[in-house]
Amino acid sequence: MYQALLTRRYLTQKIMPLLAVAAVMLCTAMVLIVWSVMAGFLTSLLASGRTLMGDVIIQWPVAGIPYYEELIEKLEDDPMVAAGAPTLETPGLLGMPDGATKTVQVVGVEGESYDRVTGYADTLWWRPLAEPLPRDRERQDFRLELPEDYELAGEMLTKIDRETGSPRAAVVLGIEASRVNRRAAGGWFEFGWYFMPEQEITLSVLPLSQRGAAITVEARRFPVANEIHTGFYEVDANYALVRLDALQRMLRMHAAQRFEEGFEFGEVIEDEEGEEAFAQPVIVGEYPARVTNILLRGAPGVSPDALRERVREIYQSFAAGHSESSPPAPPADRVYIQTWEERPGVRTLVAAVKKETALVLTLFGFISMTAAFLVCAIFWAMVSEKTRDIGVLRALGASRGGVAWLFIRYGLAIGVIGSILGGIVAHLIVWNINPIHEWMGRALGVYVWDPSIYYFTTIPSEVEPSKAAIVLAGGVLFSVMGAIIPAMRAARLDPVRALRFE
Amino acid sequence: MTTLLAARSVSKTYRLGRVDVPVLRGVSVTVAPGEWVAILGASGSGKSTLLHLLGGLDRPDRPERPAKANGRGERHEALDDGQILFEGRSLQHMSQAELDRYRNVSVGFVFQFYHLLPELNVVENAALGAMIRHGRLGYMRRATECRDRARSLLELFGLGQRLRHRPAELSGGERQRVAIARALMNEPAVLLADEPTGNLDRATGAAIIDVIASFRETSKQTIVMVTHDIAVAERADRVLELRDGRVVEAK
Repeated sequence: MYQALLTRRYLTQKIMPLLAVAAVMLCTAMVLIVWSVMAGFLTSLLASGRTLMGDVIIQWPVAGIPYYEELIEKLEDDPMVAAGAPTLETPGLLGMPDGATKTVQVVGVEGESYDRVTGYADTLWWRPLAEPLPRDRERQDFRLELPEDYELAGEMLTKIDRETGSPRAAVVLGIEASRVNRRAAGGWFEFGWYFMPEQEITLSVLPLSQRGAAITVEARRFPVANEIHTGFYEVDANYALVRLDALQRMLRMHAAQRFEEGFEFGEVIEDEEGEEAFAQPVIVGEYPARVTNILLRGAPGVSPDALRERVREIYQSFAAGHSESSPPAPPADRVYIQTWEERPGVRTLVAAVKKETALVLTLFGFISMTAAFLVCAIFWAMVSEKTRDIGVLRALGASRGGVAWLFIRYGLAIGVIGSILGGIVAHLIVWNINPIHEWMGRALGVYVWDPSIYYFTTIPSEVEPSKAAIVLAGGVLFSVMGAIIPAMRAARLDPVRALRFE
Repeated sequence: MTTLLAARSVSKTYRLGRVDVPVLRGVSVTVAPGEWVAILGASGSGKSTLLHLLGGLDRPDRPERPAKANGRGERHEALDDGQILFEGRSLQHMSQAELDRYRNVSVGFVFQFYHLLPELNVVENAALGAMIRHGRLGYMRRATECRDRARSLLELFGLGQRLRHRPAELSGGERQRVAIARALMNEPAVLLADEPTGNLDRATGAAIIDVIASFRETSKQTIVMVTHDIAVAERADRVLELRDGRVVEAK
């Protein structure tokens, strides 16, 4: 009983324990914030990767996969596959409206199928705001009165030419690709002296031979249909989506007639009437259109690994069926069939982030042990200060264990209060981490989060109750650990010497 | 005469660096139930050490050679040499828990410098022994009873208006009265007072002795009081004088 009473009084009447509480609070909050941001970063990374790439990817770069429509149809017939989308990827060069050039990753997609796999339509920036916030009205967000055709044009990657009224293949750029789009502190974008979806860009790509050599440079003007904002900086800054058929044509991967071998254009022959005419080729077949990737989304509940195995089986049967075709399908043992996590870049990045999280947590864990040392130092001083009181308690019949428990309980109380406060502080900071970061940037000029390094335009965070519980329990444990040595010292004090202590 | 508390030829030596300093050299004391014994002595004579030994706060030295029985009924007494006995039982043979309980229930300490806990108010200081005795749950069950006992003792000692005050808000005499109430909280068999007036002026000291004497008159409380003040010692039933670690005179 006396331990509870004295703990309460020591906590409320002394400055030193409040310092210990503050130390535990800061350490707990620090670890929790770091862990939440790192975990949020990893989760966002994985979620974005999955959104952008689907669950499983079939990939055959350069030459591409022919008969892909048939393959996708086969795959979608399987109950494990929810949707499939063909894409064509190549590096390219953008000629921007302001005269600047920019290298980008060009992705040819069919809007509808791509949306079914990746949720692409939701990433379109220029579309009417579904639920405008008061702040959107305050700053007169351009999207409040946006004509719906921007959204449709973005979804279809097709724009109606205002002069001719005919549809034109269009591009959709990552919103950070254009220098005139400025990301505002609140997370929205403001455009500068031109509005990108009203502009045209020049896209240059390199059609490659089967051996990967550039055949020529293909350049074409495209209207910009819309812009995407995935929150994944790498994509938002460096991706340009083009309508698949247009890109296939530029890369010479579209469906084309195949002529008999040895035919040369421009050869002049005499026709049946004895007049000179250009020789006409004999059509002996068709080159099928090709894509470099097929993205697949698994049915609900199907794991990416299970889906990959199933896709492998289906692909084997598809490849076997086309082994004699001309051109044949890429061999099943050589084509890349990977879950999105297994893609080389992603795998390395995720592993690096996981390792970095572990490293940072270990370091911060060690730093947090200073709380234990601080509690130890404060309690050591307190035991010295309270030596005579300890002697009195022993003279009144308090056992050694009882005296030790007084200080351990005190450490426990400091740990519990400090950890709870730390949890609250961490929660408030994590909850408002982006406004706080923006404020720091405005007021102090300190921007710690660079989207070009950390992939995301806002700081992701995620507080998991289990992790919070671990951190809070750690704070309590460290405090108790810090109290143990002074408590042992108090328990071992000779009561006579303690009573004579000056 | 029955003996409640006794010291049988106890010695105590402290070690200061490499030097052994004998403080008590074969002191024997007996205290009967209801008796008030004063131990008189100059500073450094070992009187506080004797009180600590009687109160189980410290242990006497082990006798160098156990005395042999001489076959004439003196064996028992010789074997008790170097022992502190309470109701015939040696404190040295008690376990640590038994010794803690002895200090908590059987004896009550009053110190020269009061030694009240500054964070607790008057009632809480007085009830501290009961909190230690009953543990958390036990005390919660008996909280009213314990507080009433503390209050009645404090009122008896004239502190009825000071119950919620902190020690820092009290005079020296008031603090010592709180310390006496604390010592008597668990109705100890023996009150051990170590220079209870040593830190007070003469009038206040006399008032404190009056309080103790008055309480003793009604409760027949056994008291062992250490003092260097002859006037205080003369209030006791019996006075022992300690000089150089030995009882040299008994009045």
